[in-house]
Amino acid sequence: MDRSFLLDVLGKLLAGLPLTIGLTALALVGGGLLALVLAGLRASSRAGAWVASAYVFVFRGSPLLIQIFMIYYGLPQFGFVRHGVLWPLLREPYVCAALALMLNDAAYTSEILRGGLRAVPQGAVEAAVVGNMGRWTILRRIVLPLAVRQALPAYGIEITSMLKATSLASVVTLMDVTGIARSLVSETYRAIEVFGVAAVIYLVLVTATTGAVRGLERRLAFT
Amino acid sequence: MTQAVRLRGIHKHYGAAHVLRGIDLDAATGDVVSIIGSSGSGKSTLLRCIPFLEQPDSGEVTVGATTIVRGAPGERVSRAEKAAIRDIRGRVGFVFQNFNLWPHLTALGNVMEVPLQVQKRPKAEVREEAEALLEKVGLSARRDAWPAHLSGGQQQRVAIARALAIRPEALLFDEPTSALDPELVGEVLAVIRGLAEEGRTMILVTHEMNFARHVSTKTIFLHGGLVEEAGTPEQVFGDPVSERCRRFVAGVLR
Repeated sequence: MDRSFLLDVLGKLLAGLPLTIGLTALALVGGGLLALVLAGLRASSRAGAWVASAYVFVFRGSPLLIQIFMIYYGLPQFGFVRHGVLWPLLREPYVCAALALMLNDAAYTSEILRGGLRAVPQGAVEAAVVGNMGRWTILRRIVLPLAVRQALPAYGIEITSMLKATSLASVVTLMDVTGIARSLVSETYRAIEVFGVAAVIYLVLVTATTGAVRGLERRLAFT
Repeated sequence: MTQAVRLRGIHKHYGAAHVLRGIDLDAATGDVVSIIGSSGSGKSTLLRCIPFLEQPDSGEVTVGATTIVRGAPGERVSRAEKAAIRDIRGRVGFVFQNFNLWPHLTALGNVMEVPLQVQKRPKAEVREEAEALLEKVGLSARRDAWPAHLSGGQQQRVAIARALAIRPEALLFDEPTSALDPELVGEVLAVIRGLAEEGRTMILVTHEMNFARHVSTKTIFLHGGLVEEAGTPEQVFGDPVSERCRRFVAGVLR
């Protein structure tokens, strides 16, 4: 193994780290907010619940890569998109990739949230009601703390999935860790070394995330 | 003695089932009212109607100075009624059959939650009072324990301290020992008996007949959604008028 080559590759790939982490953070924040909206929709009415289920069905049931392609290559087919106010944003590959990741993350996160909410014992809510807590106090003090604790392990998996899924952004020209790796391979033809180093970077990120989530789980444990 | 809780003509339907068919109940300050009866007689539903955990279809609920009159089934709850329900909930402490502690809060946290979050009382005062209440139910050593680490009897005692923490005018117990292992029943009953001896106003739905007989000041026997027999425990247990009550009492005291 050529150590200096590996170190050189590592240095170059790390330049893509801010993009990888930025895309992940954006996907999680945007997807998380959208997931809350979906949860609200689900609780609002039958029609709302149907819309939420349909959303989850589409975005969880189709490949993320196709979603990215449809947003990046597909949307510009429509004149109103090309001439719309959002075109300066929607023509950016970064925005398209982030949007696809967000929409995809929302589908998974809303399902995780749903599972967490279902696990909240009815008796705990009833005790809050009889204690005169208002709707928001119940949500803030009882329902969400219990739902989040329940959902945390599954959500940890979702974070790591998103982290790895950002590598798909490289197919729409983004120079994240994977994007840089691809261009290095086409220059050097040393695929094993370059992709190997890239994989190690993801591995380290995933391990750190998993550890952080475990720590949080322990801190919030009540058994 | 002043009136603490008063129910008049309470009706409740679940679909086609008419589970409460016009029930009256009076608890004066200091009364301990036991509601007995076989399962399905409507005891728990009746008790849950007081803080509107179940909404009576019609009838009148009075706690302290607050009265709510319900007209017809399906009638909307008005803004004024919602305020009255909040007022009533602020006056009664409710103890559930399954304890219903908040699992993510410690024993002390459970007791402090409503005084802090709802009543907005100062933290130092709430904490001091909560610690005293846990002491009273014999659990000051476990105040930092999670509910999951407490036995059923201990959880129920925390739940009683939680109900007391709101400084209620009356305590409502919904079969407080029915979910407990037999060897844990005694410790919970001892706490409830202590509260009765303090002169607290209490209404309890119970299957503990000896307890009802010796601790309560009034006993009500429900059957089929109606008060079948009511009076002092001596009357209801010793010399009931109703044949059904006689058979029920003979069956459970055997």
